[in-house]
Amino acid sequence: MTTQLRPAAPAQKPSGHRGLGPVHGRSGLFHDQHRRRLLRMDALTAIAWSSVAAAVALWLADGGATVISSPAAAFTALGIVAGLAGMDLVLLMLLLAARIPLIDRTFGHDRALEFHRKLGKPSLYLLLAHGLLIAAGYGMAEGLDPVSESIALWVLVPDMWLAFVSLALFIAVVVTSLVAVRRRFPYEFWYAVHLLTYAAVGTSLPHQFSVGGLFAEGTWQRVYWLAICIATVAALLYFRVAQPVVATSRHQLTVSRVTRVAPGVVNIEMTGYQLDRLSGNGGRFFIWRFLSPGLWWHPHPFSLSAEPLAPGPRGESKLRITVRNLGRGSAQLMRLRPGTRVAVEGPYGMFGTAARTRDKVVMIGAGIGITPLRALLESTPFAPGSATVLLRGHTEQELYLGSEILELCENRGARLFHLTGPRVPWDANGWLPEDAVRAGYDLESYAPDIAEADVYICGPAAWARNVVVAAHAAGVGQEQIHHERFDW
Amino acid sequence: MKARGAVSAALASAGILLAGWQAGVQIAEIRGSAASTSAGTDTGGTGATGASGSSDSSSQAGAPASGASGAAGSAGAAAAAAATYDGAMVPTRFGSVQVQITVKAGAITDVTALQLTDDDRKSIQISNRAAPLLRSEVLAAQSADVKSISGATVTSNAYLTSLQAAIDAANL
Repeated sequence: MTTQLRPAAPAQKPSGHRGLGPVHGRSGLFHDQHRRRLLRMDALTAIAWSSVAAAVALWLADGGATVISSPAAAFTALGIVAGLAGMDLVLLMLLLAARIPLIDRTFGHDRALEFHRKLGKPSLYLLLAHGLLIAAGYGMAEGLDPVSESIALWVLVPDMWLAFVSLALFIAVVVTSLVAVRRRFPYEFWYAVHLLTYAAVGTSLPHQFSVGGLFAEGTWQRVYWLAICIATVAALLYFRVAQPVVATSRHQLTVSRVTRVAPGVVNIEMTGYQLDRLSGNGGRFFIWRFLSPGLWWHPHPFSLSAEPLAPGPRGESKLRITVRNLGRGSAQLMRLRPGTRVAVEGPYGMFGTAARTRDKVVMIGAGIGITPLRALLESTPFAPGSATVLLRGHTEQELYLGSEILELCENRGARLFHLTGPRVPWDANGWLPEDAVRAGYDLESYAPDIAEADVYICGPAAWARNVVVAAHAAGVGQEQIHHERFDW
Repeated sequence: MKARGAVSAALASAGILLAGWQAGVQIAEIRGSAASTSAGTDTGGTGATGASGSSDSSSQAGAPASGASGAAGSAGAAAAAAATYDGAMVPTRFGSVQVQITVKAGAITDVTALQLTDDDRKSIQISNRAAPLLRSEVLAAQSADVKSISGATVTSNAYLTSLQAAIDAANL
């Protein structure tokens, strides 16, 4: 029996600092995978920053810096550089949001979007600086104030009015994405405004090629700039439009059964074809659209809660997601009718075997966050005795799929702990139930070898943050912690 | 490992910027030398200067537009009649500049811009503003010794350089 409900005894805490992670455990099944991932990470980081440098170098190579002879020329030059760097950042942001598998398998979906968000303000500032500096520089050259110069540009120079429209759209997109603003509006509003990004980029393109002398016809700079713009658009179209359409028509998923797991939680079973192509992705998420009236436009990110079953005689098989009623969107899912067709995109994210770095594994889940761990537990490789599963909930009922997980743990030789009960009222950083804390247990009591393991954490954002802190305190390195945020 | 990514990103970026800078300096040198030697080289390849194809290897590129423009066609030799002279083609960062002067009785009676900086719309805008101002100043001063227009320095300098070549060709 490898399943137990309580640790044998509170672990002895070694004295001295435990901040440094152990250096062993590097060799093994996942060593090469991890090394390659780090290499990809560094390469992509270098390419991203180099692209900004390259944008500025385009201008330098045209002798841009050698003709700065007056304050007006200096303003104009700075304005051009700001515009080039700003546009390059915008293209990087589009690529980060394009769900490109290479980026997804390297950084993960959530971190890619985090970078995307971080670049939002800098790119807007650069574009604003571009407009202001150019207006000032041109104005000084012609003896006009920046406002009159802007009006003259708008009226007299072809394509420039589009550029002004573009800047206004960029401001709208970034402002509605600020956390404080975003909270006040429904997701759909933010999403609609965010779609304007494409209009903003589209309206900014003409003036780059027609007004800017740098990208005049016949220059190699024009070729380069066109190439990166076209490549970005192609990546967006391919990975965000073509691939989902192909996957949807390949799998032909329909809802076959909706069963209640617990109050407010259902299993949605779907039948489709070639589902074996989706196996091995336990833990990673897909974006589902249920094609019924009022629901079809709403994308739902959910992980599989079980590996796809083996295909039947006609090639059809089943997969399953587990959904909790968390809001208006998921409430409708409780009442899905069998036969509803389903569009699917994915898999996305690094919450899976592809992120493994060590041979041992610890999975910690709370509430509905338990369900992706269920699929991961089913598929990710580990030797008997080298996996630990911690499930947290207020009651046993909240440990969704608990009996399936118990069975999997018994079959695969994983240790399982049920951590139920109210949280510690006085400790905002707690993640364990109150009675476990009173008994002196901490993370290492349950998983003594956690410092040499991959730690998968899935649950409510605040709780998960606390677990991450506890894992770091137990000597788990950043690279070993796998935690996907779904609050984007 | 984060350090490795940061260092390689920094090195690659620095390398790219340096290469860009280097290329820019070279381009500027080429352009600079092109601008200073163009007076002595045949830049008459473009249609606008078909008449100046006779320019020799001497430092004067400006050649009488013999028969090229209708106004000068019949009066090349007559001192009292008007004659036109093309200035040198002067390349700039924003496009080439070439002017033509009309000389009558030893005086410049008109200056026409055959070509002005037109690489992009901004340059065209600047040129269109600078050219009339330069023309009136030149006609008043009867020489290329006039102030360049602020905000259109590159265009002005090229304009006046080309003008000087035309004046030299006219032996004024």
